[in-house]
Amino acid sequence: MKPTDFLLCLIDASGGKVQGRTLLQKRAFFVTELIGEDFGLKFDAHYYGPYSPTVEGTTTQLKNLGFLQESNTGFGILSEGFEVRRYDYSLTEDGQKLLERLRASPEYGIVKGATDRVLAAGNPNYVELSIAAKAYFLLKKKEGGSMSVAELIKQAEKYNWSISPESIHRAVGFLSSVGLATER
Amino acid sequence: MQDYLEIRDPVHGFIYRESHERDLIDTKVFQRLRSLHQLALAHLVYPGATHTRFDHSLGAFHIAGGLAKTLVQSETERRLIRLATLLHDVGHGPFSHVSEPILQAHSSKTVFVEEQESKIHEVITAKIILENAELREHLSDRERQNIVGLLSGKFGHSFLHDIVSGPIDADKQDYLLRDSYFTGVKYGIYDQDRLRNTLRVYEDNDDLVLAISIDGLHTLEQFVLAKYYMTTQVYRHRIRLITDCMIERAISLGIEQDKIGWLKALYSYDGTDEFIQEYLQWNDERLTNEVLHQKDSLVKDLFDRLRKRHLFKCIFDVDQNDFPDPSTRSFVFAGSKDFYKPLEEQVAKQFGFDQNHVIAYGVTFNSATKTESQVPVLHKTKTTLFDDESALFKSVDQKIREQHFHIYAPVEYKGDEKQKRKKHREYKEAILKMIQTLANPQHELPLA
Repeated sequence: MKPTDFLLCLIDASGGKVQGRTLLQKRAFFVTELIGEDFGLKFDAHYYGPYSPTVEGTTTQLKNLGFLQESNTGFGILSEGFEVRRYDYSLTEDGQKLLERLRASPEYGIVKGATDRVLAAGNPNYVELSIAAKAYFLLKKKEGGSMSVAELIKQAEKYNWSISPESIHRAVGFLSSVGLATER
Repeated sequence: MQDYLEIRDPVHGFIYRESHERDLIDTKVFQRLRSLHQLALAHLVYPGATHTRFDHSLGAFHIAGGLAKTLVQSETERRLIRLATLLHDVGHGPFSHVSEPILQAHSSKTVFVEEQESKIHEVITAKIILENAELREHLSDRERQNIVGLLSGKFGHSFLHDIVSGPIDADKQDYLLRDSYFTGVKYGIYDQDRLRNTLRVYEDNDDLVLAISIDGLHTLEQFVLAKYYMTTQVYRHRIRLITDCMIERAISLGIEQDKIGWLKALYSYDGTDEFIQEYLQWNDERLTNEVLHQKDSLVKDLFDRLRKRHLFKCIFDVDQNDFPDPSTRSFVFAGSKDFYKPLEEQVAKQFGFDQNHVIAYGVTFNSATKTESQVPVLHKTKTTLFDDESALFKSVDQKIREQHFHIYAPVEYKGDEKQKRKKHREYKEAILKMIQTLANPQHELPLA
């Protein structure tokens, strides 16, 4: 599946719109992690956690082609390190028409299934998904992939990530719900 | 006392290099870059654009040296950055980037996997740096490995790689200024001194990345605008696209239809030393001369045309707005290129062109390319990202990513401008219909 098709399917499976490009990046990251295939998105660890230039480039491409509509809302500075302007993406009428064909493909079902799992796990917002992505990054990095919440917080401090114990608990809860981590 | 030597450069003034760097510049592998034009045949549009990969490599080396001096603490890393930038283009083939798709098409997939992020000239560059005998004389094993690591982003913190290969790297910082200077197009100019002085190293998680101080925000915007203007005015100039496509088509015909053995060998990278030895013997001029000696060949025919500036013309230029049907639009601009060949055949048949002389070309961009959007902008009390901060980045980035689809063919327009426009409409209507049929083989759709 091409990145253009993947993103259209992801947005459709998300209810036809995604609020915020950080949310789009993180949701795409977790959906590809759950499926076990990156669809050419090539995520990198970045300033806000996992980031894919392909998601950014493909979103612009889909917008230029008239399949996505972008709107933005200013929120000022929420806190250091988080976006000040939210860009929302929704499928246009033409995007919906393209989806009619894509919905018939088996890949659509796979993307939808993984997206549903993310949404069912509390439909986290972009801040929660960002923290979950960071926690997931730390867990993957740790040999054996096992860490206590206290250890996670300590590790996060080492990376200068300011994450509260409550946030870490919610992140671990999300990772457990989608099956990317196990709570013991 | 350091042994500094200087080179006078029209873009940067004096470029200083140390004696070990001079030794590298004097190698055959580096001197070969004098015979590779930076912009292939762009001099057919901009007569001044005869500058080479040699000038550019020295310019990028100069800029990287300045950035390293400002941003890098370690002397070893500063030295590596200068050396890596100096050598970053040694793997280019004749006509530089024009060679890339042909090399990709004909090279062994065991040594070059398309899914990998590296372009094939980067793979060849790495091979040359690691194994070329002359370079080995002047660089230690470790240094050569570290240079390759730095170029591919596998050495040290990200900001080191960002200086040699990233959205605001020394490569782009030089080529925008240099291409602007030599083409005479003034739009590529930005304040390089200010950009260098406002770039910062920023701690991001466990990494160090290249960032910019808020004081440099407008300089970075100027850089983005320079890139945009140079893209629209020079890199995507219609004649330049046509000449690049004609070179690519000529070489492909020489390999696939004329069956010229040496030409196929030149574009079939197999990972061997023998290939590299041979590859390094070639440049723009030698390739042109050799193909012009291939009697009765398709490759000669097209190079003859290029030499005489008897160029193909664009007979079809559309963008997404020409395709109201979403699936056809997606087929043309977001699908595979598999339909190019059948479309070329149909166009040739309908309008009586030689099929080999009809070229379908998508003016696209690489969606995976990292842009300036994620460059952290450092304020006194907070950090934001460039595309949140910049008022113009998003619209420029969107514009730069607009896609077009062209068809080039050897037409000669007879008559006045009115007749030419009429002919263009005729081509457009017919070709749109062909595309719609190819996109929707089951049923024909209404025309735009």
